Amino acid sequence: MQRRHLLMLAGVLAAGTAFATSPLRAEGIDVDAILNDPAAPTAGNPKGDVTVVAYLDYNCPFCKKSAPDLERAAREDGEIRLVYKDWPILTDASVYGARMALAANYQGGYRKVHDALMAIPGRGISQERMMEAIQASGVDVRRLEADLAAHGEEITALLRRNLEQADALGLEGTPTYLIGPFRTSTLDYAGFKEAFAEARRRQAAK
Amino acid sequence: MMWRANAPLRTIRQGVAMAMRSAFLLLGCLSPLAAAEGSGTSFPALSLARSDTAPFSLTAGRDPSGRLLLRWTVAPGTYLYRDSLKATVEGRGVTLDLPEGEAKDDANFGIVQVFHADVEARAGNLAASGDLRAGYQGCSEKGICYPPRTDIVDLTSLAVRSAPPGSRPAGDPEAMAQPSSGLAPAGGESGAEALFRDGTGWSMLAFLGFGLLLSLTPCVFPMIPILAGMLTRSGETLTTRRALALNGAYVLAMATAYALVGAVAGWSGANLQAALQTPLALGVTAAIFVALALSMFGLFDLALPTALANRLSGRAAGGSLGGAAVLGFGSALIVGPCVTPPLAGALLYAATTGDAATGAGALFMLGLGMGLPLLLVGLFGPRILPRGGLWLERAKQAFGVVFLAIAVLLAGRLMPPPATLAMLGALLIGSAAFFGGLERLGSASMPVARLVHAGGILAVIYGAALIIGAAAGADDPLRPLAFASTAPVVLTKGEAAVTVASAEDFDRAVASARAAAAGRPILVDFTADWCTVCKSNARVMAAPELGSRLAALGRVTADITKYDDATRDLLQRFQLVGPPALLLLDADGREIPGSRLIGPVTAEEINRRLDAAAI
Repeated sequence: MQRRHLLMLAGVLAAGTAFATSPLRAEGIDVDAILNDPAAPTAGNPKGDVTVVAYLDYNCPFCKKSAPDLERAAREDGEIRLVYKDWPILTDASVYGARMALAANYQGGYRKVHDALMAIPGRGISQERMMEAIQASGVDVRRLEADLAAHGEEITALLRRNLEQADALGLEGTPTYLIGPFRTSTLDYAGFKEAFAEARRRQAAK
Repeated sequence: MMWRANAPLRTIRQGVAMAMRSAFLLLGCLSPLAAAEGSGTSFPALSLARSDTAPFSLTAGRDPSGRLLLRWTVAPGTYLYRDSLKATVEGRGVTLDLPEGEAKDDANFGIVQVFHADVEARAGNLAASGDLRAGYQGCSEKGICYPPRTDIVDLTSLAVRSAPPGSRPAGDPEAMAQPSSGLAPAGGESGAEALFRDGTGWSMLAFLGFGLLLSLTPCVFPMIPILAGMLTRSGETLTTRRALALNGAYVLAMATAYALVGAVAGWSGANLQAALQTPLALGVTAAIFVALALSMFGLFDLALPTALANRLSGRAAGGSLGGAAVLGFGSALIVGPCVTPPLAGALLYAATTGDAATGAGALFMLGLGMGLPLLLVGLFGPRILPRGGLWLERAKQAFGVVFLAIAVLLAGRLMPPPATLAMLGALLIGSAAFFGGLERLGSASMPVARLVHAGGILAVIYGAALIIGAAAGADDPLRPLAFASTAPVVLTKGEAAVTVASAEDFDRAVASARAAAAGRPILVDFTADWCTVCKSNARVMAAPELGSRLAALGRVTADITKYDDATRDLLQRFQLVGPPALLLLDADGREIPGSRLIGPVTAEEINRRLDAAAI
């Protein structure tokens, strides 16, 4: 933890003294915030040694292609902590899907909605189509709507934070996966396994 | 911890972005863990370095017919979704003429049409100024989808700039704040408003005006005896109302005849446009203009043969409406040759719209404009026609000068630029003399005469500058003496380009260029004698600093001066509308993606393409 703060400080200093740490802290953007945003849904092993941060959009075909591989690889590995960063950049419906998934998180149903939306193949999926998938996903839709109404502001704030972080990191598009120290996009099952191993090797070497 | 979107914070946000980027960079350096380059790691995908070059970029140009060309450069390994390419002007959708994409069939993605290589879209019938917003989105084969982008094209300068980030369709905090229903308000707008916003209404009005102007030329005069004959033949019983009805039928029929021609022109679209650009058509049109000018100067009279005129008026016996209509239709086609040059311009416009209805509408308005004064003649009799006199002579001569200038400009597409300059200069000096601008002024001269004199002197000076410039090889009429201030361009002697005009010759030329030096890329240059932009492009390419670089390439020039099936095939192969276009072929004779340049080029652009192609 201390190391992370040190690094962040070094980065800030490198960027010039014009940017004091206070606005950074105020915006909640630092490495810790990226890896440990309390509002961001997580999966996998909370005590895992490698953290994977997934920046995803529900209208991104490559996200849909790589998501099952990532989850399978993470499940089999057993020591992977997954952080989902909903980053709806492609379509208006993506924003809708992200809000619904995050609202489902209040009833512990993020993964149900996430998986249902990721299972619709293709791009340019409409809001209506997403709605149908959510209704069939097994979450309590009435509860979801109530949570959306009650926590709408929090959800919006989280999406904004994700957007800020992605901008700050200079991410190019979806999907982007931060795997330990690496940044990558679509990988297949074997690719994720290899990436986990490499991330571990690098972490052990430091 | 709420994030409030307001202006000062936005600035901070940018700062934060910079700081964070550096932070991650440092994180990478210190924990030697970042991008895995050079560490012998076995995952290439992980070394996906952040590229600062955008995967897609948009440029705008105009094709020879004046339609807007939007051109997306697609970086190797990336693709654009065909359905993501959209354009709007002031919030209204613009129809883009897009080529068919490649079908991408993927179990995950469904069937979508994409462009892996640079793509060109055309849009006609746009306002000449204002902003066009062009949206696009695509992905990389490496498995990443880029956020949608919107660029703004200035329709006047064709400059392209990025839309402010706030206008992203999604991912914008403001958009996230509201539940995105995606329902656009359905605004009501009357047909007329839509028409005028579109510019169609204005162009129709403009054509009516052109028609009125045309009616002031002597071209319409041959129609008057026909009309007058028709009216007198109707006898004493002719009421004003009846006369008006007859004249109306005549004028409407005439306008309809023009509308038919316009519809054909609009329907035939680009073909006619290209046909009118051929040397033969240019030459003939220029000759017609010269003939018209001579007629304006009084060398000969353009009028219908009396016999024919009498026959026509005789046909209208009885003064029936139908007879008047036949007469009007017929005289539009017969009087046609006289109004050819302006008509050619109108037809060109109709052709560029590529739309039969617009073409017909424009030409109909032109005919109506021409016919309106005829209605007055019918109403008041020929006595309202302007009496001849010096002013009429002067007006005719002025038209003559304009016609000559047009002829020179038309011929200029076929002649070396200095020759055009010299002829314009001669024309200026000649007209100064003809209009009495050089005559001696007495102390009793009127102010008007003095003004004319001043104008004459100015014309002579400018004309002389043009001729001197032409003698020095200048080619820009606005800067004829620029040669005096710039160092002469030393043409770098490159390998002579092979000029081809058909797909077969092209293949042969490429094969022999490859045989001459294997592994050397080939620069293909689409050009034509009538293409003025091509000439300035050639100058750019001949500049010493670029010339030496280009000399290392094989060169093939595709000459599209003659527009026939062979050259059309060649254009088709590269999906080009016409010159100018530059592209690079790799050592295997395939087009290097992203190397294409359409329209006017700059040395920087060429250098960039060469850099990108690692030449």
